[in-house]
Amino acid sequence: MILMHDVVIIGSGPAGLSAAIACRENDLDVVVLDEFPKAGGRLLGQLHQEPTGEWWNGVKETEKLLERANMLDTDIRLEVSVYHVEKVDDTFNIFTNKGTLEAKNILIATGAAESAAPIPGWTLPGVMSIGAAQVMTNVHRVKVGEKGIVVGVNVLSAAIAREMQLAGIDLHSMALPAANVITGDGSNPIKVMDGLARIAHLAPSKFIQFGSRFARASAFVRNTAVKFFPPGGVKMWGMPVHIRKAVTAIHGEEKVESVTICKVTTDGDPIPGTEEEVEVDFVCIAGGLYPLAELAAVMGVPFKYIEELGGHVPVHNEQMETDVEGLYVAGNITGIESAKVAGAQGTVAGYSIAKHALQDHSLEENITNAMEQVKTVRANASIQFHPKIDQGRARVAQAFEVNAINSDK
Amino acid sequence: MDDMIVCRCEEVSLKNLVDTAEKYNCSAREVKLRTRAGMGYCGGRTCRPAVDAVLENATGEKPRNDVPLKVQPPVRPMALSVLGGNDRDDE
Repeated sequence: MILMHDVVIIGSGPAGLSAAIACRENDLDVVVLDEFPKAGGRLLGQLHQEPTGEWWNGVKETEKLLERANMLDTDIRLEVSVYHVEKVDDTFNIFTNKGTLEAKNILIATGAAESAAPIPGWTLPGVMSIGAAQVMTNVHRVKVGEKGIVVGVNVLSAAIAREMQLAGIDLHSMALPAANVITGDGSNPIKVMDGLARIAHLAPSKFIQFGSRFARASAFVRNTAVKFFPPGGVKMWGMPVHIRKAVTAIHGEEKVESVTICKVTTDGDPIPGTEEEVEVDFVCIAGGLYPLAELAAVMGVPFKYIEELGGHVPVHNEQMETDVEGLYVAGNITGIESAKVAGAQGTVAGYSIAKHALQDHSLEENITNAMEQVKTVRANASIQFHPKIDQGRARVAQAFEVNAINSDK
Repeated sequence: MDDMIVCRCEEVSLKNLVDTAEKYNCSAREVKLRTRAGMGYCGGRTCRPAVDAVLENATGEKPRNDVPLKVQPPVRPMALSVLGGNDRDDE
């Protein structure tokens, strides 16, 4: 006889843990699964200074969540990989490398994955995604190399480059990936500039001060700034950030030995004759994040393509319900946003699941309050991944309504 | 640039993808099946957005609401003993 859990939560990041806490507060039988040896998800790697000057330390935030979850006797199982989920009648079967679980409800809180920004030579040892560098630096405390370069200039890579600097890792510079059909906007200096203006408020730093000058400026002013971008780059914490230079290739016999950098036009086209070779022993590629929604796709949840949210997201409502009864989503799987937003969404999902499991409508108030909290956290977020998050969110909610009306017919 | 690998697990280059799309004038799904791009060990987790971008460019298919290249279990690399076994969580 297999034990039927009230809910299985896949992912122990801020969303999964917050949801688990809300469920345990209502005494549900909860199992949290995560394939990493430590709970906390990508929260573990985060370390940045808020505009107020306060430090956001992901390890400490994880400890707080875990302390609360442990106080509530939450069953958290690590190093468990979920490879398949199916629903038979009213039961979810969750297939893992350590056996199969059954549950009446599931929450998929699997977060995001990194998009590759491939450039020639990116398969050499010593090339890693910026997220991998973050995990090695802040979670495993392993020095990724002696001298490196960051390819890709965006919110995520700026934050992680700073973390690596704080850990004493030598970075030559940050530059764009060479333009190709895959790298797209990430290799367009004007588009990158728009992105930088959005992280302008990530004070106090040089980078930010630089960006904030252009944050509210017109497109014309920003384009002018791109045109006259200093050839030496703009220094962020002493490290040059280039948006008019791109890494065109990574070289090495058996591992990374150097990269070729060249100047690019305001459209990102390489300017011939400007190539220079820079010796590095590691390269961090930052192609951005996309919602990791494989399990929702396997379950047949309808999707919607929302650029503002980072790509294809499972259609859900503000209560974090999907079209599949008993299947909930929270965190970055619903769109790329900060860990704080993910946590707030997790709380919503947790109360929604408790309400469904217990048929307790008095939880409505908790859900409403938690939904308000998501909006407040989003409005105050210091890292905004996309300026039109709200519009993106509204389109998902609308899609959910449309699906609901159609299925009633 | 053309020789650049896009799908690392199956070692499919940018040129393979573009040429296949041109030669067969086919859908993104068919290009995937012909080249095995995104069908390797990682299940497409690394190259999925990249393969999508190449195929969107080559075939002119715009991103639609459904996930372009179908996701199938197992979504994580698993030992055959796990997939073939009949383990249950009997506690």
